[in-house]
Amino acid sequence: MSELIQNLVLGLLLGGVYALAAAGLSLIFGVMRVINIAHGAFLVLAAFITYTLWHAVGLDPLVATVLTMVVVFALGWLTYQALVRPIRTAPMSSTVLLTFGLALVLEGAMGEIWGNSSTAIRPSYADESFTLGAIFIPKAQLYGGLLAIVVLVVLWLVLTKTWLGRAIRAAAANPASAELVGIKVSAVAATVFGLGIAAAGAGGSITGVLYPFVPGSHYQWIARMLAIVVLGGLGSLNGAVLGAVIFGLAEVLTSAYVSPEWATAVPYAIVFAVLLFRPQGLLGTRLREDAVMA
Amino acid sequence: MWHHSLRRGVTAVALAGLAGLGLVACGQSSGASGDTIKVGTSLPLTGEFSQPGAAAKQGYEIWEQMVNADGGLLGKDVDLVVKDDASNQNTIVSDYNALISQSKVSLLLGTFSSLLNLPASAVAEKNQMLYVEPAGGSPEMFSRGFKYLFFSQQAVSDQQGIPYAQYIASLPTAQRPKTAAYPTLDDPFAAPVVEGARKALEKAGVKTVYKQTYAIDTKNFDTIAAAIKSAKPDLVFHGAQFEDGVGLTRAMLKAGFTPKTYFETNAPSFGDQYAKGIGAKNTEGVTFAVSYSPEAKTPGNPEFVAAFKKKYGELPAEDAADAYAAGEVLAAAVKGVGSADDQTKLADWLRGHTVQTILGPLKWDKTGAPIGSYLIGQWQNGQARIVLPEAAATDKIKPTWTPAGAQ
Repeated sequence: MSELIQNLVLGLLLGGVYALAAAGLSLIFGVMRVINIAHGAFLVLAAFITYTLWHAVGLDPLVATVLTMVVVFALGWLTYQALVRPIRTAPMSSTVLLTFGLALVLEGAMGEIWGNSSTAIRPSYADESFTLGAIFIPKAQLYGGLLAIVVLVVLWLVLTKTWLGRAIRAAAANPASAELVGIKVSAVAATVFGLGIAAAGAGGSITGVLYPFVPGSHYQWIARMLAIVVLGGLGSLNGAVLGAVIFGLAEVLTSAYVSPEWATAVPYAIVFAVLLFRPQGLLGTRLREDAVMA
Repeated sequence: MWHHSLRRGVTAVALAGLAGLGLVACGQSSGASGDTIKVGTSLPLTGEFSQPGAAAKQGYEIWEQMVNADGGLLGKDVDLVVKDDASNQNTIVSDYNALISQSKVSLLLGTFSSLLNLPASAVAEKNQMLYVEPAGGSPEMFSRGFKYLFFSQQAVSDQQGIPYAQYIASLPTAQRPKTAAYPTLDDPFAAPVVEGARKALEKAGVKTVYKQTYAIDTKNFDTIAAAIKSAKPDLVFHGAQFEDGVGLTRAMLKAGFTPKTYFETNAPSFGDQYAKGIGAKNTEGVTFAVSYSPEAKTPGNPEFVAAFKKKYGELPAEDAADAYAAGEVLAAAVKGVGSADDQTKLADWLRGHTVQTILGPLKWDKTGAPIGSYLIGQWQNGQARIVLPEAAATDKIKPTWTPAGAQ
């Protein structure tokens, strides 16, 4: 029994980190219909920025998350203005190609700046755990999971309780009408892109503490994030969180009770199975309707 | 009017210049034109294997620099052509085809990991070109009947852990680990190392209590560490590349589990990168198989280390040394035959000769598999030392892993 509880705890903590990484991707798609393939590269970039703040300045990596988020928000905003905005109305495949190219450029730039050697952020608590009887709870995972919850709640409050959030939802539902009532849709889109990237930035700070990384690590992250947001329903923040928790639990439980060899395959099989019955993902339709109703 | 004449004149000069550049470009497309001889390789400079790929590039570049400083190959300067395969099996096939058909290189050097060398060596074999590879020791590599493939380390991977298994078997019964766990990456190099050692250890009476393979894109090792902890092994023998080597070690520390004895493939040989990854104090007693030591008194090694330190400001990693040794093997064959034109002769020459390298003397069987044995290294006082065999050891082997917390 304690083994099952142990694995459920590890799965939930893993899901929490995945949720933060994937939430921004879903947000950007929900508002802009842009599938940002560079999302994983921004996550790794944030991990490198966090590493620099930790290594050079001595800032705790999880505290550094705030600074990192500001920096990558600005990068996201600039990316939108310089690259995404000119092809907003182009077919979705164009933005996929554009952001894939951007991911490669970011990977190359990170390699030039930080090198292609493996990098690890190791604060004093990196390999420590809290223990409850036979259960261990890794401190870094716990802190990271709690931070992920805080960031996600703030993001949810911004989207549902503020004027900016209403403007975002209006721009997503009907851009032309939103313009008519005084919302600058382009400015809102740039803000959303920045917010989405900032969420990936928070994810990068946390994952940088949990796992070593190289510039090329973004391929693994974007594959997971896309699967999670498709499972939860593209464009749905709650769906991304649900998809991430299912993904994390599936990975951990498969590793523990089937075989570690299948741990990274079974979650994708679950995505396929869900899509057969709900092509829109678990929460896809309902939340898109919510956005329209708002 | 003269404006038109001048414009025509300038245009003519420009066209002549372009034509000249074109001729120069055409001239360079030949593999051994003029005073250079082109040697092509594709390395994982980006993607999952960028860590060893970057080190290999350094090793190849030092080899190019030192060969050229020494008069070149057959009196011609080596011109190294390096492509980036992004750790991708499809890209590497395109890269080696392009090196042969477009860059028209005269000679090839291999890439890193068995995963990438498997398809790359098939391209070389199809084109009947010598393929000396520095890091692809999977037995699968040598079961295909290839005639142009040579692995420039001491042994194939299933032999890598044997000296360590023999050491364990030689311990008095009371000191010998009674149980062992074998987590391994699903990788054509790492898995055979584990399998070879497991068979030898089981023969020595060490009971297997955990044996699992995990996928290459595994990031989270906490569950695997928890399962190993439950099995309570005395010895953990981990078949790893780099990131997973760091990941599982950290996960075991988080789970509060430290086996008495810990052996890991590949990752611990990455020097400072490994120490930074798991924390320098946690390295004490981690044991690993290794092909190279910067302290080795092998022919040419002091010069290689000096040149490497001068250019990169650090000691060479094992992967850089392996790449350099591959270059040495290739150069020995070309010098031995006296020409780079007949690739079959180059391969035949290698099959019949022992080559002195910075890794020590290397020789091969008819499949291109090396006949020799690895060194065993161990982290002691924050440094990677050689502990087996006794003849090459710089320090005595310590029996236990004693991690002392994060640093």
